Amino acid sequence: MFEYSSLLTFIALTAILAYSFYAVLIAGQLSLAQVGLASLAAFTSSLVVPNEPLFGFIPPLMVGVVFGMAVGAIAAFVLGLPVMRLRGVFLAIATLAFGEMVRIFLINQSWTNGAQGLSFPKLVGIETAWIALALVAFWFWRLSGSRMGRAFAAIREDELAATTMGINVPRYRMASFVIAGAVAGLYGVLFAHFTRFADPNQFSFEAAVDGLVTAVVGGTTFFVGPLLGSVFLSALPELQRTLGIDAGWIRPAISGLLLLIVILFLPGGLAGLIPRRRSSTRLVSDPAALPQLEPLPARGTEVMALRALGKSYGGVRAVHDVDLTLATGEILGLIGPNGAGKTTLVNMVTGVTVPTGGSGTVLGIELAAKTRAHQLARAGIARTFQQIKLFNRLSALDNVLVGGYRISRNTMLRRLVFLPSARRFEREAAAVASAQLIRVGLGDKATTAAGDLSYGDQRRLEIARALASHPTLLVLDEPAAGMNHVEAERLSELIRSLAADGVAVLIIEHNVRMMLALCDRITVLNFGEVIAAGTPDEVARDPRVLEAYLGAEGDAAATAAAEELAEVAAEAVKGHDGDAAGTEGAR
Amino acid sequence: MQLFLDGIFLGSIYALFAIGFTLVFGILDRLNLAHAAVFSTGALVGIEVVTRWGVSIWLAIPIVFALGALLGVLIERIAFRPLAGRHDAHFAGLISSIALGAVILSVLQALYGADTRRFPAEAFPSTRLEFLGATFSLLQLMILVISVTLMVVLTWVVAKSKLGRGMRTIAENPHAAAVLGLNVGRISSTTFAISSALGAVAGVLFTLNVNAANLGIGHAVELKALAVIVLGGLGSLPGALVGGLILGLAEVYAVNTVGSSWRDMVAFGLLFLVLVIRPQGIFGGRKVREV
Repeated sequence: MFEYSSLLTFIALTAILAYSFYAVLIAGQLSLAQVGLASLAAFTSSLVVPNEPLFGFIPPLMVGVVFGMAVGAIAAFVLGLPVMRLRGVFLAIATLAFGEMVRIFLINQSWTNGAQGLSFPKLVGIETAWIALALVAFWFWRLSGSRMGRAFAAIREDELAATTMGINVPRYRMASFVIAGAVAGLYGVLFAHFTRFADPNQFSFEAAVDGLVTAVVGGTTFFVGPLLGSVFLSALPELQRTLGIDAGWIRPAISGLLLLIVILFLPGGLAGLIPRRRSSTRLVSDPAALPQLEPLPARGTEVMALRALGKSYGGVRAVHDVDLTLATGEILGLIGPNGAGKTTLVNMVTGVTVPTGGSGTVLGIELAAKTRAHQLARAGIARTFQQIKLFNRLSALDNVLVGGYRISRNTMLRRLVFLPSARRFEREAAAVASAQLIRVGLGDKATTAAGDLSYGDQRRLEIARALASHPTLLVLDEPAAGMNHVEAERLSELIRSLAADGVAVLIIEHNVRMMLALCDRITVLNFGEVIAAGTPDEVARDPRVLEAYLGAEGDAAATAAAEELAEVAAEAVKGHDGDAAGTEGAR
Repeated sequence: MQLFLDGIFLGSIYALFAIGFTLVFGILDRLNLAHAAVFSTGALVGIEVVTRWGVSIWLAIPIVFALGALLGVLIERIAFRPLAGRHDAHFAGLISSIALGAVILSVLQALYGADTRRFPAEAFPSTRLEFLGATFSLLQLMILVISVTLMVVLTWVVAKSKLGRGMRTIAENPHAAAVLGLNVGRISSTTFAISSALGAVAGVLFTLNVNAANLGIGHAVELKALAVIVLGGLGSLPGALVGGLILGLAEVYAVNTVGSSWRDMVAFGLLFLVLVIRPQGIFGGRKVREV
């Protein structure tokens, strides 16, 4: 046991470094600055770590650790300010450049002793290292089931969808950066006080790559991943030595091959080998667990008012001069041929696209350049997307739980100390999500990964996710696409019941029969302009509407819509009651 | 003038490495971190071929070129193709190429050991030339000429040839390319082959210039090459050349003004600034990916 104490300490420290990579990877970011941050923390800590316990009772290492974590977190924040808008490879390269700049800076300072390196007192042994690792792992374990953990996962899977759930994406990305910085700082201080000697060149690009490799090999979807990665990669050379493999080149060859095998054949990393439930949360179908939700505004309250709203892309007017209002309890339909600007309009209303003309107020929020989608979502708007945007690797229930972000509470701190209220809040959130999932008929698929669901189920899941936020204004972009008549009729019933509850519904749909039967009012767009508006009956009789659809040659959906319109109009002319014709049509 | 020329020559070496690097990124949107190992392979195999077999350097270069092309195909087959369609292909590709690079380096270590090796003194004519009072070697001039020629030829290939059209289609949308009947696998392999062949030859020329090679030289140049291709615009071939020249000049002038210990700060400082101010680089017409 004792001869391995140095190896075991090393495993713990490497795992802590890997956790600092894990902290950004779970939010879908790749940062190579971690080793640079660790180096900064290690060397600056040498300036403050006292020889004697501070005030007689605070151990010197504790001073160093607190200071180092603060340095790591602050440096990560300062670095994050300019680089936060970069993504993927660009973020990786910018953070890599930062890490190298830190290294060159420290090498050229006299207080770090430059490339000669600096001696540190030996303050870290095997116990300290493993206690620190346990605390870090504990933090990430408690994070994984909290609202914050779900928000990180949602950002990793689909940033835009996460924003429209009310998640402040830039702030969460920064939070993951700062957490990673603090963990990196912890690593730096512990490492220096374990090896008793450090020079800035040890914290190089290669060291950063090793840390990243450890995290990825271990797996980034389960909190034990970094520890597994560290055990695997640290023990490997030792194992080969024990087996008597000594030739200089065989070790790197075997390590490289094993790494290649893990990355090619174990997509979830080593942690993927651990059997566990697909979903961290189970369906809660007990109605007693449902929390009391805030009542919706009184029926007929105006929630959306657009005045001459428009959007042009470099001279092309996608939408212009649209006036539109919507009140709670009302179902407003938006129809028109493909390319008419329906989705652009909806994107403006939900804060995804910034308008270039006119003005609009949605749920009391002005649609301006600085309005962000998550602010509108927090005010009570929820939406689905024409191109389905689910969090594919999360279970169906977890998707809906993210949807409930707006009405649930952050339980991270409560979870850290196991307060009973944390369990209660999590159970309430699960109950809301379960109720919506059952409502759309997906109760039996709660643990299936969203990406594995059929197309129609994915559409329904998106609606459940939107409903989980208890929205005042629900925006549906082609919710019935790919559904058959029976399914579409069931969807219509669901939407009617929502409107009866007092939800304002804005719906885009090509299924004209369904729209004529469902909507209270319909607005028709063509080439970005409103060409007709009124009750379904009025719209169906309007010759301009039929013309618009007939004019859209080669658009199959438009042609079908034109045929349906013509039929409905003909039926109406025959003396039928307009409403009845519409309802028949939908059947 | 001497400083300026030194900067241009240093930059042309960076450019030589970076052109192959950026070619793969531009077409396949993947950073191939095994490129450094290919660079080292080119250098060490080149030395082996010249010293052990007594082959002239002019024949050694085509041999290394062919070997590099072969390595490129292997890298694409082993480290990248199996990942196609995986949601984490970006991270996984970085890591699988690092792993394969490590394996390639370990094979080199088995063959040639970890020591520094050199070309024999007479391997390349040491002719010195003079231009406007500045002196430089024939080799430096040759490296510059090769870099510029490669950039022009490759730019033409990508823009005009059938292969280039295939490459650009894949860059735009690999699924559509497959539907259109393009052999995505073969075009990807070819791209990697060209890229790695250039990387291997760059290794030979670099080693001739500094007259020393070991296993780690690839990594030393790799970071600079990253700076170069970002500076010029990821995926842009003319950008790789111009970025290389700018970095070479900046480094030479930096050494002259602030000293060699701060030299690398220039490369990474430039890299950081470019990413923050203009992430698409000088020549990057490509949209910076949002996610």
